[in-house]
Amino acid sequence: MSLLRNIADGLRSLFRKERVSQDLDGELNGFLEMAAEEKINQGMSRADALRAVRLERGSPEVTKEVVRSAGWESVVETLWQDLRHGQRVLRKSPGFASVAVLTLALGIGATTAIFSIVNAVLLRPLAMEDPSHVVFVQETWRDIFPGLSVGNFADLKRQSTSFADLCASNDASFNLEARELPERVDGEIATANYFTTFGVQPIAGRVFTTEEDKPGQPKVVVISERLWRTKLHADPSIIGQPMRINGLPTTVVGIMPRSFDPLLSRSDLWVPAAYTAEKLADHDNHYLNVIARLKSGTSHAQAQSELNVIARVQQRQYPIDDENRGFRLQPLTTALLGDQRVGLRMMLAAVGFLLLIACANIANLQLARSRTRQKEIAMRAALGASPNRIVRQLLAENVVLGLAGAVVGVLLAYWTVAWIIAHGPAEMPRLDQSRIDARTLVFACALALLSSFLFGLAPAFRSASTRLSEVFQSSSGISGGSRDHIRSLLVVGEVSLALILMAGAGLLIRSALLVAHLNPGFDTSNVVVGRVGLPDPGYHDPALARQTFERMITATAALPGVNSVAVVSRAPLAGGGSSNGLLREGKPLDMANLVNSQLQIISPSYLSTARVPLRAGRDFTLQDTRDRTLVTIVNETLARTMWPGEKPIGKRFACCEAGPKGRMDPVWHEVVGVVADVRAWGLDRQVQPEFYIPLAQMPASAWDWIGRTMDLVVRTRGGAVPIRELQSTVASVAPAVPIYRLSTMQQKISSTLERSHFDTFLLAIFASTALLLSSVGIYGVLSYMVAQRTRDIGLRMALGASQAQIVWDVLGFGVRLAGIGLAVGLAAALAATRLLSSLLYGVRPTDAVTFAAVSFILLVVALIASYLPARRATRVDPLVALRYE
Amino acid sequence: MADKSSDLVQGTLDMLILRTVALEPMHGYGIALRIEQMSKGVFRVNAGSLFVALQRLQRAGLIRSEWKATENSRRAKYYVLTEPGRKRLTSEKREWGRQVAAIARILEAS
Repeated sequence: MSLLRNIADGLRSLFRKERVSQDLDGELNGFLEMAAEEKINQGMSRADALRAVRLERGSPEVTKEVVRSAGWESVVETLWQDLRHGQRVLRKSPGFASVAVLTLALGIGATTAIFSIVNAVLLRPLAMEDPSHVVFVQETWRDIFPGLSVGNFADLKRQSTSFADLCASNDASFNLEARELPERVDGEIATANYFTTFGVQPIAGRVFTTEEDKPGQPKVVVISERLWRTKLHADPSIIGQPMRINGLPTTVVGIMPRSFDPLLSRSDLWVPAAYTAEKLADHDNHYLNVIARLKSGTSHAQAQSELNVIARVQQRQYPIDDENRGFRLQPLTTALLGDQRVGLRMMLAAVGFLLLIACANIANLQLARSRTRQKEIAMRAALGASPNRIVRQLLAENVVLGLAGAVVGVLLAYWTVAWIIAHGPAEMPRLDQSRIDARTLVFACALALLSSFLFGLAPAFRSASTRLSEVFQSSSGISGGSRDHIRSLLVVGEVSLALILMAGAGLLIRSALLVAHLNPGFDTSNVVVGRVGLPDPGYHDPALARQTFERMITATAALPGVNSVAVVSRAPLAGGGSSNGLLREGKPLDMANLVNSQLQIISPSYLSTARVPLRAGRDFTLQDTRDRTLVTIVNETLARTMWPGEKPIGKRFACCEAGPKGRMDPVWHEVVGVVADVRAWGLDRQVQPEFYIPLAQMPASAWDWIGRTMDLVVRTRGGAVPIRELQSTVASVAPAVPIYRLSTMQQKISSTLERSHFDTFLLAIFASTALLLSSVGIYGVLSYMVAQRTRDIGLRMALGASQAQIVWDVLGFGVRLAGIGLAVGLAAALAATRLLSSLLYGVRPTDAVTFAAVSFILLVVALIASYLPARRATRVDPLVALRYE
Repeated sequence: MADKSSDLVQGTLDMLILRTVALEPMHGYGIALRIEQMSKGVFRVNAGSLFVALQRLQRAGLIRSEWKATENSRRAKYYVLTEPGRKRLTSEKREWGRQVAAIARILEAS
């Protein structure tokens, strides 16, 4: 209570200063008057009485001052005075102030912008109930982490006790016929407890029930708020209405809020998994995303060890499918955002360095200024200001600088964030949610205060400790030695930080250049790719599905401007794929002998349309049908892996399907051709073993694996991409079936490189800014040194030193500073760039060429920065210099 | 008035003020005068320490103030003891008594 009164009273004196002051005046005057009156009554004259009272009780002015400075509010008031004084001082040196504010704004702006992205992408909790208890379960097999098989998921759900909830989903896309044109929509096939696991409620309607998550039930769907608003005109009566999904009437039962995107997959609808008994017994196909919520009180390690026990049981139970298979448990946050950490932390470190360099530069400027302000400060000290008060005042000046820098910096950050959202990599989850919010503002303010102390403390203490006598004696200009040491140290620090940034940027640039010159393995020019998915009910018959795609190829090939057309189950750079274990003929049927390889189902025209070079053997022909010998074409990596040192043509391997005698009956495919490696997962990814089988020979069940979805690959004669024509051609062959993700091959390539180019671009900008700032630092120190030593230089010239000698002296000093910074920076960079290794392709983090190049650039810039002051030194006129005093 | 006046023992002014306004609401000069009279001129209160102490006590909620007319029809700020102030005075008096007794024992022990 009394604390509140204290604050309220203090605030009153702060903000209603006049009123409070009048009050005190009145009271004090009354006091003195009454005291005087008493003396007058005793016979004194009025004037004498007033004088006596003043002597006895103290003068009213002093008393007022004493009373006023007794409350806490007086501290606030001095602080305010200091800040206003600081602002006035800065206004008097606008050159210094604007350079310092801009430098600082650059540092604070960059740091704040990157922080707001880190905040949105990494720090903000996932939009679900208590995300710390939600874990992501994967299988572990050899060195990969596939999804779970439905069978393994069912066993896990039955046997585990660590989880309050365990659910599964898999990504899928759907042909949606709602109001207008058919569209392809991304969604998930999920178990009924999917929503409760995340603890998120629908904004309208309900989620599906356990009953609806069983085979043979009427079809229901939960849609996203985004889909509801963008495609369904936010129709409130949509709940209970049917819409056609994959050609089947499906009832909308609920709408999930916009924020519900638990796996960051931008799903727009969810349909029940309704696993059949057959699926529940399937331990062979590993594709489920499994998410669980830990029981409260169950630790991560406990859950993991329970999973290990279950995995061992399964290995015995299903020796073929689950041999060497285990489970891996990860916090969902790590599973979803772990990939983003390296890059974003690198950015944050980079902007942190930039801010430090900016601070060092301002500290340098302040040190130079403190020299010229020595007399002013000495005068203040002489007039009775305590060192404490002087430090406080100088710090206040720096805080004003810092806050001004923060204001400009936040503006800068605001634009930067907008730019990054617009141009940043689309694949980075939650990037679009970055904004300057309360948290980032607090961060920026903290940065401003921290940096104003960083660059302000040393100069302030130095100034406050100057002795009056020194100042007025040493006006002659022999520079204070230790002061130059600090300044040199700051420059060395700047240079080494800049070098670390430059080394990082250099490595990324070199890596990007190497990637850009990689051969993708096929001719990417004038190729357009789009996906087409045939709905299961209408096109269940494998023959019908195949004929539909073949008709689509023929119809598209007839379009004007089209050279040739093909279909492929996954076009290069389209993402995803289907991995298969191949058994080389002659090896015993054992899991350990399987070679993992990517399957591509292609029409016979594919390799010639994509222009994948044939290295040996022949291409597929129309004669390679199901009733002939099953044939395959392999890429060079698979040929090398499976038959090292042998000619693969005519060799056989088993894969993809079982013979009539059951699961262990191999079906052999004969290699008829070898093609060049295609970098199908991105230019900077390693090529995997890959094999092609002709569309006409694919097993019927393969239509289910690939979801009756294929990429239509069109080679045009150049010119505009015939989007309209392609859409209408596909629709004319398969009504209500859309073609989606339509883009040129080159667009697909650049979108896979988007992320690494973005990292490279930003780091390059930061590094060049750092280089610029530190060269300004070198320039500043040397110019200051030359100005300070004008007399020495003049003297030496008078004694016969040549201009070249003077130039060499100054240059030498600058280069020495840069050299020391370079050495320190190189050592630090060698340690730091190792953290980048996961972002680099084909370059080692200690790449000598890069390090040599950035060192060279840095030295050249340092030389230029030193040359300007050096030249100024030679223009010193000995006579003028000696008269300088 | 006695010529030799002493400075107050550190921290006792607050207690003396509370004691003084415990009798009746009083203005600043009245308080100073009363302390001087009751101490028979041993203590002299200067305006600075008095008003700082009054501000402190008021902010601590031990006294409150209001502007009123004096008997000479001058306007002055009168200070009134509050309930927490009364409690504080009682406890301070008790503590003071204990301390004085203790100090006396130490001084007479030799």
